[in-house]
Amino acid sequence: MSRHAFRAMGTTVELHLDAEPADAALLAAEAEMARLERLLSRFLPTSELSRLNSGGELAAGPDLLAVVAAALDARELTAGRFDPTVHDALVAAGYDRSFELVAAGNGAPVLVGTRCGGGVAIDRAHGLIRLDPGVKLDLGGIAKGYAADRALAILAPLGPALVDAGGDVAVAGKPWPVGVETALGPLTLELSDGALATSGRDRRRWRASDGERHHLIDPATGRPAEGDLLRVTALAATTVEAEVLAKALFLAGDADRAAAEADALGIPAVLVTRDGRTVLAGGLA
Amino acid sequence: MTSHVARLYALAASLLALFLAWVGVSAAPWQADPPAPTAAEDPAAAAALARYERRLRQDARLVQRILEKRNREQAAPPPPTVRIVTAPPVATTRTS
Repeated sequence: MSRHAFRAMGTTVELHLDAEPADAALLAAEAEMARLERLLSRFLPTSELSRLNSGGELAAGPDLLAVVAAALDARELTAGRFDPTVHDALVAAGYDRSFELVAAGNGAPVLVGTRCGGGVAIDRAHGLIRLDPGVKLDLGGIAKGYAADRALAILAPLGPALVDAGGDVAVAGKPWPVGVETALGPLTLELSDGALATSGRDRRRWRASDGERHHLIDPATGRPAEGDLLRVTALAATTVEAEVLAKALFLAGDADRAAAEADALGIPAVLVTRDGRTVLAGGLA
Repeated sequence: MTSHVARLYALAASLLALFLAWVGVSAAPWQADPPAPTAAEDPAAAAALARYERRLRQDARLVQRILEKRNREQAAPPPPTVRIVTAPPVATTRTS
């Protein structure tokens, strides 16, 4: 088993590949994630995403087109709970730099709800993305999921593979034991092909003058989401889907409603509440 | 003998004449083909043609949608299988 760890997309990425030789594939997967970060990060002024946000229109490459299209599909499928237009709300909440700088900062200004849900149009025939005036995109979680899926696609043809992109875990080729943090201690799920992603308010949080804030914006209010959930882990066929489902379940507002939705939709999910409850839903038992 | 051969020739000629007459009558060359009304001359025909073409286009779109749906369903990956185990994890998912 070969293992390779590196920094990308603001987090630590670990690749596991059960094949020999593995070095070339592992380095290719790392290069692919670095390439995608240069295209999709909102913190790099030269990225395609930053140029789209500053100009309002961009002839985008296939990766930005694919991620924006996936984000818009997710916005529709989740009735707006997942929304890539939360950029300004994140900035207003104080998440205006890479998270390491936000966490080390001196506090964000008083929070004002920021409108989300602005128009985004994709002209596939010409490869154009257009934003309504004043709209900017944040693709943080879904872009990392997309990069994890792309890295897995490089590794999986060579043998059983696992990609751990800072907690977004994608696997292929054999049953892989993957841990989930619960209120009762660690739980291990065995997963053969698919991905797990976790959304929560237990990390990427910071102090502000009026209290603690976190990065999960509720598009309905334009503010960090309230509710009794601490974090949600969701299972799906791809990391992009798992990212969207975990965030959408977290934004259900409370654990009972999120569990009911996961059961109804057949989404295997682990819900952990702020008061220490753990709920298994969507067929997990 | 000679008269017998002559009678056979006469019979064959009669049959040939009868066959040619039959073909001529069945062709009915005295009946002219009725002219088919063209869509340009007949507004009702033009409307019917337009309805037919519209229906064809609708059917084509419907078939296209059915094929696209079938392709999506066939291309969709099977749902991942998962179970709870006690083995130590290789990686741990966490808030990212």
